[in-house]
Amino acid sequence: MKPFRFHLVVIAAAMVILASASASAGNVKIVANSSVKADSISADELRSVFLEETSSLRDGSHVEPVLEKGGPAHEEFVREYLGKSESDLQSYYRNLVFTGKASMPKSVVSDADVVAYVAKTKGAIGYISAGTSAEGVKTLGVK
Amino acid sequence: MRKAVLYFLFACLCAAPAHLLAQEFKVFDRTVQVHGFASQGFVHTDQNNWLTMYTSRVGSGEFTDFGANASTQITDRFRVGAQIYDRNVGHLGNWHPELDWAYADFKFRSWLGFRAGKVKTVLGLYNDTQDLDFLRTFALLPQGVYATDMRDATLSHVGGDAYGTFSLAKPLGKFSYTVYGGDHIESTDGGYPYLLQIHGIYINHSSGPTWGGDLRWMTPAKGLLVGASYENNDLTNTGLLNPSVALGGPDVTVPYWEKSRKEFVQQFYGEYVIGKLKIDAEYRRYWRDFTIFNGQFEAQAAPKSWYTAADYRLTKRLALGGYYSHFIINWVVTVPNQVEAPSESSPDRHLYDKVVAARFDLKTYWYAKVEGHFMDGYAGFQYPDGFYPQVNQAGPCAGNLCSSLKPSINALVLKTGFNF
Repeated sequence: MKPFRFHLVVIAAAMVILASASASAGNVKIVANSSVKADSISADELRSVFLEETSSLRDGSHVEPVLEKGGPAHEEFVREYLGKSESDLQSYYRNLVFTGKASMPKSVVSDADVVAYVAKTKGAIGYISAGTSAEGVKTLGVK
Repeated sequence: MRKAVLYFLFACLCAAPAHLLAQEFKVFDRTVQVHGFASQGFVHTDQNNWLTMYTSRVGSGEFTDFGANASTQITDRFRVGAQIYDRNVGHLGNWHPELDWAYADFKFRSWLGFRAGKVKTVLGLYNDTQDLDFLRTFALLPQGVYATDMRDATLSHVGGDAYGTFSLAKPLGKFSYTVYGGDHIESTDGGYPYLLQIHGIYINHSSGPTWGGDLRWMTPAKGLLVGASYENNDLTNTGLLNPSVALGGPDVTVPYWEKSRKEFVQQFYGEYVIGKLKIDAEYRRYWRDFTIFNGQFEAQAAPKSWYTAADYRLTKRLALGGYYSHFIINWVVTVPNQVEAPSESSPDRHLYDKVVAARFDLKTYWYAKVEGHFMDGYAGFQYPDGFYPQVNQAGPCAGNLCSSLKPSINALVLKTGFNF
């Protein structure tokens, strides 16, 4: 019986890890201004937009990133979608700003501020906690 | 008086960053962002004077720089901006403000954009960001590759860049390229003009055509980047020569010129980031073949250098790092007779630097750094590499060896700065 129990424990542990990983990826949703034509965005494209490598999507929509200054949604977005630490991200943006390659992206304090800014700004794209209401903005799926 | 005004401005900037965060204003309905930075350092050495400062007694605080820029996005694809920069490091910079970069940038696609104006030269990992102290853990970049006194030699060009990022196939990762051409205008407040003064040569203009490129590969292995850069220069330096200083001629000044016969930089590099750890390494080969003293003589310098560095962010407020910098210089001069370099084992030919550093982030915009350098060699006075006869002894080296310099040097570097 012991080997069987051991396998059960391993499978259960794996399921917990997978479940937590998927829960982690699902704690943030991507929101965009209604001027953005796309209904979904690839993870690569999302990364390029927030790293200011591109200012338009494949369908030609102009996009402009808005970040949160901190908080759980911000921490998860930076880690999961941009693959950077907070200090690396700040250094990255400062590098662009002080070599003239890009401007410092807009950043706001809360999910509500993101929704308000995205709703009124053409091409704006941001992220909020999955549980926050996205009224007035469209939610983009991430492929 | 001018120094006092600059010190006052620096003090005001130091006191003000909290109020200067994210300055933005509108011009013709376009948002203009203004950013700036400043740093102040202190260097103490137990032997020899380093980086044109008198570092070996109490130490020197003549280690200041600052810059400010303004930029705006005119359209989705078109942006313009400019930055001024000023520094005073011992006898380098001399508080002469300069236009650091000023260009217009049109990005057609992510794979093709153009910049025109005064543009920072992309060369290796850090050439275009070497003044941005706040970006890194170390107070001084590895001096073998990014020498503080030779900052101006490869810094920028007036001309144009074509650049872009592309992917041939997703499994192959991404490639980023820059190709450029233009005129390289070198500051007359850098290490090379300062070194020439010991020979009675006073450079007042230094420029010439330059071209080059950089290709970097963001490999499919997460966090791994490798790349290569090349720069070719055809520099002409003009100024005045007083033959009495070094050649024993009459005490007069005559026009002076020198010109590149062949001058290039090759650089290969890699960077690996995993979590909070960053490891990088670079190799630089620089070849400089000059006709000097109005074409009468020839001088060749061929530094080869590399470094490997690692830094780790221990906490939000603390990062630790270390590097080893390896610099070897080979040279031949024919002034007044042919003189060749001694063997590499001589401290006149090499400079090996082991460094440990800590960075403290006191606020998001304010940091402090402590760094220890343990150097072996001083690489002589034939090439600007940190140690200069003007601050170390009365005249040029006797024969091949600069015997008044000590072969082992330890240094403590303290630095603080801010950006907004």
